[in-house]
Amino acid sequence: MLKFSEETISRGDLFLRASRIACLSLVGVGLSAQAASAETRSYVVGWFTQAHYSQEGDCPEGLNPGYEEQVPKSLAALGFSEEEIAALLDAEDVETRYKVRDLINNRARIDGKPANAYAHPAAVVDPQLKTVVGDYAYGFDLDAKGDTPGSFEDPQTGDKGVDNELFRVLGCMDAFRGTLANAPTYSAWSWTMMKDSTPAWLITLEGDDLERDGPIKIYFDRAMEFVKSDANGKPRADMTYRISPDPRSHNVFEGEIRDGAVHITEPDVLNLLQDPLVFPEFTLHNTHLRMKIKDDGTVDGIIGGYQPWHPIYFAYAGGGLAVEHDIMGNIPGIYHLLRRYADAMPDPETGENAAISASYYFEAVPAFAVAPGRAGFESASAQ
Amino acid sequence: MTPKLSKFVPYALTGVLGMLGVAGALIAPGTNSDQAVLAAEPVSESSMTTRRLTSEQYKTVIADVFGPTISLGGRFEPELRVDGLFEVGAGLVSVSPSGMEQYDAMARTIASQVVDEAHRDLLIPCKPQSVTAPDDACVSEFVSKVGRLLFRRALADEERQAYVMAARDATETLGDFYTGLSLSLGAMLTSPQFLFRHEVLEDDPAHKGAYRLDAYSRASRLSFFLWNSSPDLPLLAAAEKGDLYTEKGVAQQVERMLDSPRLRDGVRAFFSDMLHFDGLETLTKDTTIYPKFNAQVASDAREQTLRTLVHALVDARGDYRDIFTTKETFLTQELASLYKVPLVNNVPNGSPDTWQAYEFPESDPRAGIQMQISFVALHSHPGRSSPTLRGKALRETMLCQKVPSPPGDVNFTLVQDTSNPVYKTARTRLQAHANEPMCAGCHKITDPIGLALENFNGAGGWQTKENGEVIDTTGSLDGIAFEDGIGLGQALRNNPAVPSCLVDRVSAYALGRTPSKNEAPWIRELKDHFAANGYVVPALMKEITTSPEFFRASMPGMDEMKEARAGVN
Repeated sequence: MLKFSEETISRGDLFLRASRIACLSLVGVGLSAQAASAETRSYVVGWFTQAHYSQEGDCPEGLNPGYEEQVPKSLAALGFSEEEIAALLDAEDVETRYKVRDLINNRARIDGKPANAYAHPAAVVDPQLKTVVGDYAYGFDLDAKGDTPGSFEDPQTGDKGVDNELFRVLGCMDAFRGTLANAPTYSAWSWTMMKDSTPAWLITLEGDDLERDGPIKIYFDRAMEFVKSDANGKPRADMTYRISPDPRSHNVFEGEIRDGAVHITEPDVLNLLQDPLVFPEFTLHNTHLRMKIKDDGTVDGIIGGYQPWHPIYFAYAGGGLAVEHDIMGNIPGIYHLLRRYADAMPDPETGENAAISASYYFEAVPAFAVAPGRAGFESASAQ
Repeated sequence: MTPKLSKFVPYALTGVLGMLGVAGALIAPGTNSDQAVLAAEPVSESSMTTRRLTSEQYKTVIADVFGPTISLGGRFEPELRVDGLFEVGAGLVSVSPSGMEQYDAMARTIASQVVDEAHRDLLIPCKPQSVTAPDDACVSEFVSKVGRLLFRRALADEERQAYVMAARDATETLGDFYTGLSLSLGAMLTSPQFLFRHEVLEDDPAHKGAYRLDAYSRASRLSFFLWNSSPDLPLLAAAEKGDLYTEKGVAQQVERMLDSPRLRDGVRAFFSDMLHFDGLETLTKDTTIYPKFNAQVASDAREQTLRTLVHALVDARGDYRDIFTTKETFLTQELASLYKVPLVNNVPNGSPDTWQAYEFPESDPRAGIQMQISFVALHSHPGRSSPTLRGKALRETMLCQKVPSPPGDVNFTLVQDTSNPVYKTARTRLQAHANEPMCAGCHKITDPIGLALENFNGAGGWQTKENGEVIDTTGSLDGIAFEDGIGLGQALRNNPAVPSCLVDRVSAYALGRTPSKNEAPWIRELKDHFAANGYVVPALMKEITTSPEFFRASMPGMDEMKEARAGVN
């Protein structure tokens, strides 16, 4: 199986010679000792979304209201009377509208003084947003406690004891309702916005024989290039990506191929840098994976784990009033839900959980991954 | 027509008349009455040719004269391919009314850019006394310099004066020197003297009663053949000194031109023509089936093959036959993804793809230009490959053989049904189809070679199975059996018809017509020397351009024409 390194490619020869590439495959190698005889296949992630399973009746009290309905409640929480609220909201002059905007923007109270609600959500009255009470959610039994009260059943595998509290928190908001086939609006918007301007994510499998069940290594890396699109606007297969040398985005997991699907066998931390404006860092603890290798050479799967919830909140809060108005309805309300339903990584002093169980769905296409200074990986379809 | 423009009718009319294909002989401006220019003379034995500039030549000449920043802003008339070459068909085409409109639009666009503030200081060698008044001296200087390059000869005094007067009239009417100059330049760019390469005969002083190509026509033949553009200043100077009438003078210019990097342009133009690369400009694929294929890939595919050829044939002075087996090529990342090979693009995100030299490994199933996307995708259908089209293209472009078109009443349903559960591969579908006697004859000569390329789908991507069935790529070429595309490339390389075909094509391209039977001994000699010289293409071009046959000119009926003209006078 050929490997190549960027060091090889940057040699002075006019023509790249694959024979030399093969010989030099282990130059500066950072892989395991058995890598010399291992097969590698790489993929570039082309679609990434919260793995939601919104079903009829999973929000029995209805969905959380949108911004227009939240504003009167927020104003009431600030002490305005019904008449005052009506006067504020019915006014058509610009000055009053700006006043309402400022009131909502600064509805947090710190020492009795107005403060930015999105930066200080704990200082905003909890609007008690509704959460999912359904029985099904994609994901994994992260706490290994089995079918405990409040856990879900995975609709794909039938596994019970699934922990996915992020779905519970977000699942009754219109922008977050969806399925694997029809992604939540927010996820679709954020991924579509990021994918053409954010370095791509790469997945690489390494094993003796990736056609057969057995132990493998699973690499998650960040590329230096954005995802390249094909004529249909979908990820273009078999493009070459350089692996970012930044160690913060280099992840290696022990895994296995079992019944043709890829699983992580030794859950650990996954960390990938992302778009600094939207989601600066994507981190999962106790990372679980199931990934299906499809007949057309592409893969899809579910990745889950405990995700620090503060970055989740601030990814939403960064959009401030605009995002609250257009998408979220009530951003500080999400803060309170995340804090309440966080189910892992308790703070040693306060006991407050810092992470929340979450699952994401992804699709990826074959790609070449080149590692500066160490061995690269073969595109999955170049076998 | 507005009064302002009416003054330009004579100039425009001159262009229209020329381009509507007025047959017969015209007195060429700037020549004496014994020098004649032919318009659209039928291609015949040893005839002179009048060739319309091809679209590529037009672009190249404009870029050469005014620089690459001048945009054309128009489209070109469809070209006519005769005996496999546009360059031969260029002697048979005229200009349609809509084509004339496009030439006019392009001329105005180009001229307005030449005189605009961004370009005038660089492209106009003088400044007018006043920007609102005529300046005949400045216009004359500009017209003389530019006209010499556009018309590929020095302008006659009366001709130059006509363009000066055109600029004067326009400037007086419109009150702007540069607008006036622009209109005069536009008239030059729509003139048949620019759009058509007239070849001019003159009395041959060495052979009484015979004729020879005049020096400027010789210069144009050389420059369009070797560089795909109009003569540069040294070549025009050589023509004016009479050097192109002597073997030594021609040899000196040929050596200079062959040593120039612009030889690459000439070689690119020839192979673009021979390989029908104009088809790549409009090539589309069903992106549901071939999502990697887009207009950029089509453009890159053309460039890949041309770079491969220029590297192998010009830079390395390699053996022409090796283009069917070479592993060396050039790729962009998008092409590499279609070929499924890694290629790093060390540029910032959002930058255009860069070209990189690449050599396919020995074990790779690809080699030769016939396995590049420019060939296999061009000779395929939008949603499927076509062994027949590929085989036909190989026969016609590489072997100079003629494959008849299918009869009009053939039922193609079977070969088009790619989901047929019985006939899962193109081979089995074609075999079933070719069982019909009316189809069998042609398929016998196309399919055995076309099927060897079945590992390449309709977009040039690699495939080993079709509908779950392993693709059989065995075949044969003129009795030589092979297992796959690599074997086909080797068979092509070793087939004597391949270099023979190239000599036929290059010589026709050089002459602008298919060589006549009388020229057969010369062509045979060229073929012998091509083989003896190791099939080096620039050596072939050198031999052609330094042969007396390259400039040989005789015109049946010339004497009668001269007599008729004398009678009129």
